[in-house]
Amino acid sequence: MKQDNHGKNHKYGMVIDLDKCTGCGSCMVACMSENNVPFKEDETRKKDSITWMRVYKLTNGKPFPETEICYMPRPCMHCGGKGDHGHSPCVSVCPAVATDYDHSTGIVSQIYTRCFGCRYCMGACPYHVRYFNWWDPKWPEGMENYLSPDVSPRMRGVVEKCSFCFHRYQQAKDRAYVEEREEIEEQEYQTACTQACPAGAITFGDLNNPDHAVHQMVKPDPHACGKPRNPKAFRLLERLETNPKVYYISERDWVRKAGDNYLEGEWEKVKNNHDKGHE
Amino acid sequence: MKVDRRSFLGLGLGAAAGVAVTPATWKLMDDSSIWTQNWPWTPVPPAGEATYDNTVCSLCPGNCGIMVRKIDGRPVKIEGRSDYPVNAGGVCLHGISAIQYLYDPSRIKAPLKRENDTFVEITWDEALDMVAERLTEIRASGSADKIACVTDQTKGTIPGLFARFLKATGSNNVYAMDTMEKTWEITLEKIHGGRSSAGFDLENSDFVLSFGAGLIEGWGSPVKNFKINSSRKERGSTLVQVEPRLSNTAANADVWIAAKPGTEADLALGIAGVIIKESLFNSAFVTASGKGFQELAAVLGKNYSPEAVAQTTGVKAAKIIEIARDFARSSAPIAIAGRGRGMSAGSVREFSAVHLLNCIVGNINTKGGVWTLAAQDYEKWPAVEMDDLATAAFEQAPLDSAGSMAGLFTNAGKEKNIEALLIHQANPCFALGDAGSVTEAVKKIPFVVSFSSVMDETTQEADVILPGHMLLERLEDRPSGAGVAQRVTGLSRPVIEPLFNTKNPGDTLLELARKMEGTIGASFPWESYEECLEAVTGDLWAELSDQGYAAETATPPGGGVKVDFSFIVKSQAPVEMEGEAKDFPLVLVPVDNVRISAGSLISSPFAIKTVSDNVLKGKDLLVEINPETARANKLSHGDLAVIETPKGKATVRVNLFEGIMPGVVAMAKGLGHVLDNNKYVGGKGVNINELMGPIVDPVSGLDAAWGIRARLSRA
Amino acid sequence: MSELEEKTENGSTDASGQDASREQGKKGDAATGYGVLFFIGAFAVCFLSGWLLFPNLLYSKKEQPFNFNHALHVDEMGGCDACHFFREDGSFSGMPKTSQCIECHESQLGDTKDEEIFITEYVEAEKEVPWLIYSEQPDCVFFSHAAHVIKAGMDCRSCHGDIGTSTTTKTYEENRITGYSRDIWGKNIWGIKKNSWDRMKMDDCAECHERETGSKGACFQCHK
Repeated sequence: MKQDNHGKNHKYGMVIDLDKCTGCGSCMVACMSENNVPFKEDETRKKDSITWMRVYKLTNGKPFPETEICYMPRPCMHCGGKGDHGHSPCVSVCPAVATDYDHSTGIVSQIYTRCFGCRYCMGACPYHVRYFNWWDPKWPEGMENYLSPDVSPRMRGVVEKCSFCFHRYQQAKDRAYVEEREEIEEQEYQTACTQACPAGAITFGDLNNPDHAVHQMVKPDPHACGKPRNPKAFRLLERLETNPKVYYISERDWVRKAGDNYLEGEWEKVKNNHDKGHE
Repeated sequence: MKVDRRSFLGLGLGAAAGVAVTPATWKLMDDSSIWTQNWPWTPVPPAGEATYDNTVCSLCPGNCGIMVRKIDGRPVKIEGRSDYPVNAGGVCLHGISAIQYLYDPSRIKAPLKRENDTFVEITWDEALDMVAERLTEIRASGSADKIACVTDQTKGTIPGLFARFLKATGSNNVYAMDTMEKTWEITLEKIHGGRSSAGFDLENSDFVLSFGAGLIEGWGSPVKNFKINSSRKERGSTLVQVEPRLSNTAANADVWIAAKPGTEADLALGIAGVIIKESLFNSAFVTASGKGFQELAAVLGKNYSPEAVAQTTGVKAAKIIEIARDFARSSAPIAIAGRGRGMSAGSVREFSAVHLLNCIVGNINTKGGVWTLAAQDYEKWPAVEMDDLATAAFEQAPLDSAGSMAGLFTNAGKEKNIEALLIHQANPCFALGDAGSVTEAVKKIPFVVSFSSVMDETTQEADVILPGHMLLERLEDRPSGAGVAQRVTGLSRPVIEPLFNTKNPGDTLLELARKMEGTIGASFPWESYEECLEAVTGDLWAELSDQGYAAETATPPGGGVKVDFSFIVKSQAPVEMEGEAKDFPLVLVPVDNVRISAGSLISSPFAIKTVSDNVLKGKDLLVEINPETARANKLSHGDLAVIETPKGKATVRVNLFEGIMPGVVAMAKGLGHVLDNNKYVGGKGVNINELMGPIVDPVSGLDAAWGIRARLSRA
Repeated sequence: MSELEEKTENGSTDASGQDASREQGKKGDAATGYGVLFFIGAFAVCFLSGWLLFPNLLYSKKEQPFNFNHALHVDEMGGCDACHFFREDGSFSGMPKTSQCIECHESQLGDTKDEEIFITEYVEAEKEVPWLIYSEQPDCVFFSHAAHVIKAGMDCRSCHGDIGTSTTTKTYEENRITGYSRDIWGKNIWGIKKNSWDRMKMDDCAECHERETGSKGACFQCHK
């Protein structure tokens, strides 16, 4: 793994407690507001509606009154790829080096001016976290005044996605520099969605740091590419070995099962495998 | 000299070679590739110094503390204030969207007057003169009591100034939207005597039995309740949700009980019956404070046996008994009512049946229970000066005896005429039941003055618009309410100079009063609203202006209460829905969707963007029905259908959802705005208030409608 | 060249046609001569315009709102950071605001025409000076002054050169195609750099990063 000049390597990740998520949508709007995500007249065609953070509604599929629902917020998973070598699905296919994996933070970037809009990355991403700008972003007259200088507004023809609010990391680093510190504290770098969530369902921090809440919540297994050792935690499509940095927690069996596509009978075999871990 | 092919060749080659040994080609290649990355029409937000200003959100009664991130003084983002006692860091999507409300180009940018069918910009002086003259004329004609005012709420100094202005002119017609808070006040008065408002100490309760209250749909103080709910597990608290559909709250609850809509009161009485029968009630409390308990026990035993209630509600008798036992055996159980977001009044029968549960377990004015809170009394107003005209007119009966906004407009359509209507932060033409008739009634009012800063349905009917500042531009005290037990008064402060030619409604009223002279002017002795706020809040001002809020630290003044059980016994008829079952076999219920704003606030583009395509698709609203209902009506998912009620009909699409009771149709509130200048929200979906009418509650006189009979057929 | 051509011509025709071909060859000579002339002419024109005209056409010249004497201010104030400072949150203040300037320049201090312009047109009008920033990077660039100046201990000169000792503000040259300042590409039209501050393109950042840290860095390190 490449070393960098920014101290020890971090692996920023997110843990979302699906039993706490109420589906209120604050994370989505906090993200849009933080990251200059545009909006258009009709946003009901969800495939071309840009929401870096999207809350999905899952149901257990049972009839009334056995029905249960679960809301699942879905940011970019910032996959480390197999073996955590940084070969995330999108990074490996980008012909323009418009997206790369930062080994010092574990964050997958997206550089809009570099992107030429081939959308290979969108095809490669199994989580649908990437969005294409089919149109120029347009803010009604005057509303461009709320745009933040911390994130570049995108242009037509490029792909965009969640950056784990990387600019907040940069800002935290800058503050640390002027205070002549090397490292930033857990609370200094939090994503906009984490900060806004009224239910406290989102936790963000350094998965490599045992003092951070995210580490303690999922107990990532260092020998199995961060696979959670907490039996109630799971990652989406774990078996693809994309090695996401977003973990979900739920007490509910059916919710954890919904995190991957299992063949009949398969789930029963794997559902408690987490307990054993790879110690 | 003859120029031939070779010469051209020479020319070309020479040029090529010449250019090749200059930097031009290489530089141009580099520059043009950079050029392709530049989209001059993509905005480049200017950088600058980042600062944060604290204020209090005034978009709903929740009153969360917010921080506004500014870049060189330009607000760019709203975040929750983590040191604020209400929301402690979290913020809802509507609060974050305040940034869009602020810069919205469809805001009203200057005073307007109606000229035929359009609005014409006028100066503040002209506008205030027009209003002052007209109101003076109405007063002179002896119709001062026909001036009415509707506001979003009754508490706080801005609604206070409206009430004061009306009183000084001689009218006691000040109305606010009918909400669950009003119904709770009436319920507490009937059961405990005396006026108080309800505070629910959900944080300290270990068993919350909610009769349709959307604790995570935005009920009460939304973010506070989100937080309380999410700490439920750590606190070992249980949430039981009674609701005909799997709302977000029901989905998040420990137990979801789908009772037939409209039978919530019966279920509550059934549960109470079990608790009494099994002697699980707090006998010490009941004996010490109660009146008419034996009589109640007898009635419940006779009419509300678990089996009988199971029959009415569709909830199994065993389940009723189980819930009753769990509730009564908890150390701090609390039962709450007020459907959805609690932005409609509901029936007193239902509220009192629910509150009976709190009474029999004695969880009143104790930790984790219901508090009967005395009115906040920090506002110290000097007496209103009234001339003879005002005194005489003020004695007249109000236009609606119950003080119901719904009633006001029903009456306005009938015999009682409103001569002038002042509207502040309310949108009755959209948000009241039977919105069409309300709009007709408003159209008939000869003089309508709106203080709105957005062109909503009611403001479109105004004759004069005196646009107010938006949140972030506006100074205002925000008293606690919304069923919060610990009271926090917030101060909403301007964080930016007004963007447009608007005024704080407080200042507008002061100037208006001065223009009307006499005792009216004399009743408003302050130079500015700021001065008024400082004077009126008195002792509280120092704390308010210093830290931005004033929180009560002591336990609320509750103490011993008396319980009159006989009120509950007095048989009250349930509030029936409009319509006949034979014509309209289905039941349409309104749904509060947390991502859609349903009251006077119009949803922001941000909020609308988050709405599911199972709720809104293109311009079509989707109603939620059980697949069984769909089969019976020969509909499949996404089909266009016509929904008809006794009040009207609309074209919708259907969304098949297992989590809704068969026979029930659920429709999101807050859609179907008719707004010409807002293409993000306007013209999308159907306003459920066009399909439902108000039903007057026999006890409160408020609108108790909770649903209406309906039929659904393929379009 | 003409010899070669002659041979070719000869080789391509048979002996009997020599006269005719010689005749033709003469004509050919003349044409070739013109061709060379055209070649040289075109070469000269393009060469000269590529070197002299092109750079002038490529950049439009803009003057600063008024002249600013850095040397004087650095002397008086004691260093770059007196005016271009770090904020508490770690961000860099960049171009000073008028409010900063009026701490000294509330009224005119000296008697220069430039200060007079500043006082009358900006201080009194409460306006910001629309300075043209020589080192302005495009919006997609995130540059942390804190990381470079505080963490890495670089001095301002490494990137900004000798602007601190300048007594006048040079003409701002804006690339007509990209809209960027000429200083990004560098004054030298070939982009040749002698000093670290001669050019501020991505490759220059990468080069230094690679040298100093062993890696060009990840994209997000400098992009937003």
